[in-house]
Amino acid sequence: MLKFENLTLKYEDKLAIRQLSLSIKAGEKLAIIGTSGAGKSTLLSHLYQCLKSEAAYSSQKQGLVEGLSTYHNVFMGALARHHWSYNLFNLVSPFKQPLAEVTQLCQELELDFPVSKKLSELSGGQRQRVALARALYQSKDIFIGDEPFSALDPLMSRRLLDMVFERHNTVIMVLHDKSLALEHFDRIIGLKQGQLHLDARQDELTSEMVDDFYCDIPLTAASHVLAVSDV
Amino acid sequence: MRLLQMVCLALLSTLSTSALSAVFTFTAIPDENESQLRTRFEKVAVYLEKELGVEVKYVPVKSYSAAVTAFRNNQVQLAWFGGLSGVQARRLVPGSSAIAQGNEDQFFKSYFIAHKSADLLPSDNFPNLNGLTFTFGSKSSTSGRLMPQFFIERNLGKKSEDVFKRIGFSGDHSRTITQVQAGAYQVGAVNYKVWETAVENGTVDLEKVSVIWQSPAYPDYQWTVREGVDNQFGAGFKKKIEAALIGMKDPDLLKSFPRHSFVPAENADYEPIENVAKAIGLID
Amino acid sequence: MFKSLPFIGYWQKTTFTLWLIAALCFYFADTEIISLDPWSELRLMAEGFLRPDFFATEYLLEALWQTVSFALLGVVFGLLWGAPLALIYSNRFVAMLCAITRSIHEIFWALLFLQIFGLSPVTGILAIGLPYGATFARVFHDILLQSPKTTVQTLPYGTDKVSRYFYGRISHVLVPIMAYIRYRFECALRSSAVLGFIGMPTLGFYLETAFRQGHYHEGAALLILFIALIGTISLWCRPRLIAVYVVAALFTLPSIPPVDGALLWRFITQDVLPPALQNLTTWSQIDLGVMQSLSNWSQNLLVEQAFPGMIVTLLLALVSLAMAHGVAVVGAGLASNLLTGKLVSSGIHLCLLVLRSVPEYIFAFLFMMLLGPSMLPAMLALALHNGALIAYLTVRQSDTTQVSPHYNGRIDGYCYDVLPQIYPNLMGLLFYRFEVILRETAIFGILGIASLGFYIDSGFSEIRYSSALFLMGCTALLNIVVDIISRRLLIANTGTQISCARESGLSSVN
Repeated sequence: MLKFENLTLKYEDKLAIRQLSLSIKAGEKLAIIGTSGAGKSTLLSHLYQCLKSEAAYSSQKQGLVEGLSTYHNVFMGALARHHWSYNLFNLVSPFKQPLAEVTQLCQELELDFPVSKKLSELSGGQRQRVALARALYQSKDIFIGDEPFSALDPLMSRRLLDMVFERHNTVIMVLHDKSLALEHFDRIIGLKQGQLHLDARQDELTSEMVDDFYCDIPLTAASHVLAVSDV
Repeated sequence: MRLLQMVCLALLSTLSTSALSAVFTFTAIPDENESQLRTRFEKVAVYLEKELGVEVKYVPVKSYSAAVTAFRNNQVQLAWFGGLSGVQARRLVPGSSAIAQGNEDQFFKSYFIAHKSADLLPSDNFPNLNGLTFTFGSKSSTSGRLMPQFFIERNLGKKSEDVFKRIGFSGDHSRTITQVQAGAYQVGAVNYKVWETAVENGTVDLEKVSVIWQSPAYPDYQWTVREGVDNQFGAGFKKKIEAALIGMKDPDLLKSFPRHSFVPAENADYEPIENVAKAIGLID
Repeated sequence: MFKSLPFIGYWQKTTFTLWLIAALCFYFADTEIISLDPWSELRLMAEGFLRPDFFATEYLLEALWQTVSFALLGVVFGLLWGAPLALIYSNRFVAMLCAITRSIHEIFWALLFLQIFGLSPVTGILAIGLPYGATFARVFHDILLQSPKTTVQTLPYGTDKVSRYFYGRISHVLVPIMAYIRYRFECALRSSAVLGFIGMPTLGFYLETAFRQGHYHEGAALLILFIALIGTISLWCRPRLIAVYVVAALFTLPSIPPVDGALLWRFITQDVLPPALQNLTTWSQIDLGVMQSLSNWSQNLLVEQAFPGMIVTLLLALVSLAMAHGVAVVGAGLASNLLTGKLVSSGIHLCLLVLRSVPEYIFAFLFMMLLGPSMLPAMLALALHNGALIAYLTVRQSDTTQVSPHYNGRIDGYCYDVLPQIYPNLMGLLFYRFEVILRETAIFGILGIASLGFYIDSGFSEIRYSSALFLMGCTALLNIVVDIISRRLLIANTGTQISCARESGLSSVN
């Protein structure tokens, strides 16, 4: 599906990805792990640029709109499917069909409040699920997610991950929670300072390999990782 | 594009219909008591409608300069002007003419009033106002500004800015009386009719403020009509207006101005005003 | 004394400088107190307020409705031309054009349009709509700039441009923009009333006459109605009703008198020209003599009216600014329930509401009776109105600030705990308000204080349009220069830009 040789990328004038070679096959469930600043998000957004037309992207910057309702925020995933006049009219007065679809989707995501609720009234975890709902509502073949569960508890993360898998053929996701990555993904790659340090299939990978991958990281960064994965 | 055209057409049609419908419009501001303007002058409009046989409308205005503008723009065809504003209006609309004035306006005068602290005694001679504080009425008033300023400058031989310690424009004859009575200004110039009404009504405390000088007589308020009303409303219309105004006998109507009666007038009557305005630099 | 120098921070220095400048200005300004006997007039006023007469005004309901309808249509017109300009506001020419339009007070615009359209609703609506549109253009531009761009980046591939713009950008700014429009509508109500002073059929028409002629029972009633109108905006101005109001306003407008094209042409080509150029028919007639008289004309205007007017305007505005600072700091302190407790603070809150709703004109009128016709009444009026407004906004912030657990609820605790937190915002608002104060001096010119407004008003009443326009140009220039200087100073010193949008905080007041 996708293949790079010696890819180099910049993020805000700094080298983020250095000479990275990678190939991804359709149908793969790929997790990307690594410390902060390892270049994961840069790589991910590059992947999205390449796969744009077939992929839904759930970015770390959720891009949610405070002043709009939950419904409208989710509906934005379907903007490309409709004519602009339909979209504009929907902004003023929601159409029945998408309203029903979005309500259904929100319920599945355990967002148990009316979809007319303003985004500014939601909590951090609810927002993250709204952002996820928007990506799901795009109904694409590929899902590209940048830590889409970071603000959720581990149990809910697992339930939602199953939903993502159910609805997409290929999934590429950056994760902090390494156990989630180990348990559910077919293939795991680890980035360190913009380079590929780990690339293994799930069955050949052990918890020790992952620990090794994290171990020569400066202490402060490592503790940060642990703190996040404890959430 | 189609929509735009329709909007333009609609706008144009509203403009042209209002231009075509021949409503004779007039304006007036009385020199005292400006309350209930529309209620009072709509009665005058009804009277004129009856006499002239055309639809007559009254437009309330706030100042003489607004009245002059409305006259110049042909939004009113007839106006009750002060001496100065009438001159200004007739200069802006050549061919327009003064047709009637109040009986009192043939020999109008201004009073200079002073607060008791100014220590000025009533006299026939022009008072020594040097170094005092002074307030005129409104900027474009004849009896409250133009003539007083003229008499001050002629009698004291210098510009009014050089005579007084402080000069104000109270905006209105009643305000002039209030401010001088409160001692905010030591001396002020007022329309004699406003003063006399205020004294009659007992709103003036004569212990605190009194008349110290009265000006020689000059012509003041007048009705001025635009040129071209004969074309617009039929031959002889101007004569009809003149007759209607001079024939206005109902005291209730006359009270609004307030005048006892109206008498004929002509542009030449106001030449002295024009000369005075030129002399003190109010018109070029 | 020098030991404490390192502890004097930026805001202390700014405050000190402000008061130093104001004290200097106060020394040069005309602030003599002359009033021997104001009490009988003040007693009449007090009686008026004790027994307001709501039935003395003819066509009262019509005036109330026209006040609303002029404000509404003015804002709509402003939005129609200002909002699209916000999209191209980064263009220098557009920004300049808006700055000039904005710097001229509504009342001057109205005086100008009065000459063209006469006493027509067009005059009032344009006079409100033009400067408001220019303000909208800038504020919307500021808001759009600050809106996050992340949404656009995360929209699905293939989203069309229109949907991208509306869902990605406009939806972000809709809430602050609506809040700002609501706030400007309140301002427009005030402007609309003020336009009555020069002849528009709004509340101000009757209010000015009543106060000028000493009919205080009537004046008090009108003032009470006006404050009530502003205080209850949130009750009668429901978003759903606005469309109905706009349509009703359009249909109930006073009739538009026809505009004579020839006269309009004469106004543009002759009346507004300096006297030396008025009677010329061809360019070739411009010779040395004409140039000579033209330069004499402009020199006279500059020396006799523009410069003295500018000096008075600046003196008045600067002293008012410092006084407004005092009112704001004291008012914010007294109205804060952290300092004075519930009962007192809510009383002060009410005072602040009245102070900021009453047009400055009425205060000036009252103080003129008390203190005499110097610049002092105008200074106090501007200071009270603007100070109360700033205090009001600041208190809303101070009521939500976190205080330390040791907070003792006394003045010293307030100065340690609360004041430092709210002060930068208070000063920001104050400096933004300076532009407004400078513009507002216009009204006092019409009341007789020799600011630039006084000379402009004289120009119009003496039918010397060229001088009036020349002086309006000077006013615009002065405002723009002051605006640029204050912006530079603020950016250089605090690194923050003061935006008019800050004021939109007011919108949720009601």
